[in-house]
Amino acid sequence: MGSILIVAEIQGGQIREASFELASFANAVGSATGRDVHSLVIGGSAETLADAFSKKGGGTVHLVEGDVFENYNAEAVTAAIKAAVEASGADLVLMSNTPSGWDSAPRVAAGLDAGFVSDCFKIEAEGDGIGFHRRVFNGKLDAHITSSGGIVVATVQPGATAAFEGSTDGSVSKLDVNVGDMKTKFVETKVAESKGVDLTKADVIVSGGRGVGAPEKFEEVIKPLADALGGAMGASRPVVDAGWLPHEYQVGSSGQVVTPKLYVAAGISGAIQHLVGMKGSNFIIAINKDPDAPIFEVADLGVVGDLHEVIPALTEAVKAAKG
Amino acid sequence: MKIMVCLKQVPHQDARLDIDGNGTWIKEDGIKFEINSYDTYALEEALQVKDAEEAEVVVVSIGPDRVTQSLRTALGMGADRAVHVNDAATNGSDALGIAKTLAAVAKQENPDLIYMGLMSDDGNFAAVAPMLAELLGIPHTTAAVKIERSAGSLVVDREIEGGANEVVELQTPCLVAVQSGLNQVRYASLKGIMAAKKKPLDVKTAADLGVEGQVGAGAAKVQIAKIAPPVKGDTAEILTGSNDEIVAGLMGKIKELGLL
Repeated sequence: MGSILIVAEIQGGQIREASFELASFANAVGSATGRDVHSLVIGGSAETLADAFSKKGGGTVHLVEGDVFENYNAEAVTAAIKAAVEASGADLVLMSNTPSGWDSAPRVAAGLDAGFVSDCFKIEAEGDGIGFHRRVFNGKLDAHITSSGGIVVATVQPGATAAFEGSTDGSVSKLDVNVGDMKTKFVETKVAESKGVDLTKADVIVSGGRGVGAPEKFEEVIKPLADALGGAMGASRPVVDAGWLPHEYQVGSSGQVVTPKLYVAAGISGAIQHLVGMKGSNFIIAINKDPDAPIFEVADLGVVGDLHEVIPALTEAVKAAKG
Repeated sequence: MKIMVCLKQVPHQDARLDIDGNGTWIKEDGIKFEINSYDTYALEEALQVKDAEEAEVVVVSIGPDRVTQSLRTALGMGADRAVHVNDAATNGSDALGIAKTLAAVAKQENPDLIYMGLMSDDGNFAAVAPMLAELLGIPHTTAAVKIERSAGSLVVDREIEGGANEVVELQTPCLVAVQSGLNQVRYASLKGIMAAKKKPLDVKTAADLGVEGQVGAGAAKVQIAKIAPPVKGDTAEILTGSNDEIVAGLMGKIKELGLL
């Protein structure tokens, strides 16, 4: 039986929470199927982190260090993972579906001629094999994926499960990786400039999605409610992609992550990238004409209806109540 | 300069999703198809290169007869040539099988750049692009939000978390998987649509590409065992009734939250 290889990720000088979540799935599947748990830690200088991880779910840690691994580089990471798969005898490679993970995991899979499943919310032992569960059609349907054998590389949605709690008998050994001549070069990280709208400070956010229908409707329908409630206006990604509102209004994994007292999602279907940005809100109201929209799974209160009727009426009621 | 743009034809964004008889995909009868939204941004990016300098844009797609329409749309938008891999042997391919098919086309085409979308609107796997780059031994990046070209390389801003971007330089030939919103996608003009009818659209089989046995359900290493509406845990309390009753229900909650 092959082992399980966790590819840990360092962010801000620490092994990130998502890697401990991988450890949860890895140790659970490992126990259930008799597979050993190994990990790979890659970084400029990461021995201390590797040591700590080996005791907190990482198991047998393979440490790949060097200047070339200081910043993320798809070619370098792919080479390191391939070497670790060989060193660990892994037939299941778990990575987080983070910007580094989604960039390199498929590359690794192709390099190993392996099966690949991305953005899983659940991975568990099932019968003789392993079941992988993920969403398709932008969150609207669940897909249960199985493998016909051989190595599988799987990425896991950050936050899909709790971080591993417990300890593992770990060890760290260094792994030499020769990346060869690389055609990819890290240049720099550009931190987001904060301009104008800081949604993270708003008590109330009224966000509109594709369902709002047209850019002027944001001004006519969404903004009045936000103003009446003393809050801010937000938007989902498709609205920003269409050029209806600038990026600073975007709520989501690549925009702003918000936790207001009240979040109103109007005409937003609820793709995972958006949910990640607002599901921590204290109270969520969703208005959408599609009763199956994934947004209703995170909302506290929902209206299946036309936002162009509900929101103006609600705005009037709020204004009247405030006098 | 030759740019290969890989397109996938997917069910329309608002298509009705009914599970098929096998329970492994959706029913395709009676729904409209369109070019995967992420791929439209890739195509637009390639067409902008063509607007700026001498470039040949070749669009490639894999799928049954209905895919022809999407390729004609791409030609109408300004692509020069299309390659349609139309062979039932590719049915049931996993992402790696698709990548192997596209790699075979790329080996025939020898492009300087390959642009495609980060993921598809149906499967959302976001797998094929990095796989294709690995199979071709070329550098790649994903979630591109800005691409700058210079002699021999691309400098690409790729989206990472928290609104930040990472800048990476790729030597050409290279592959870029674009993020949605990279640009504003053009519409095909009437003139473009008419011209598209005469542009070359070559049909290929798995055998033509030398990938028989490497593609299709038989070669797939992973498969969808079952597809179903999500098992919902706690969902929202849904307000019903007249508009007035709904507004009253919402107001009650807003008042409870202390926001009035």
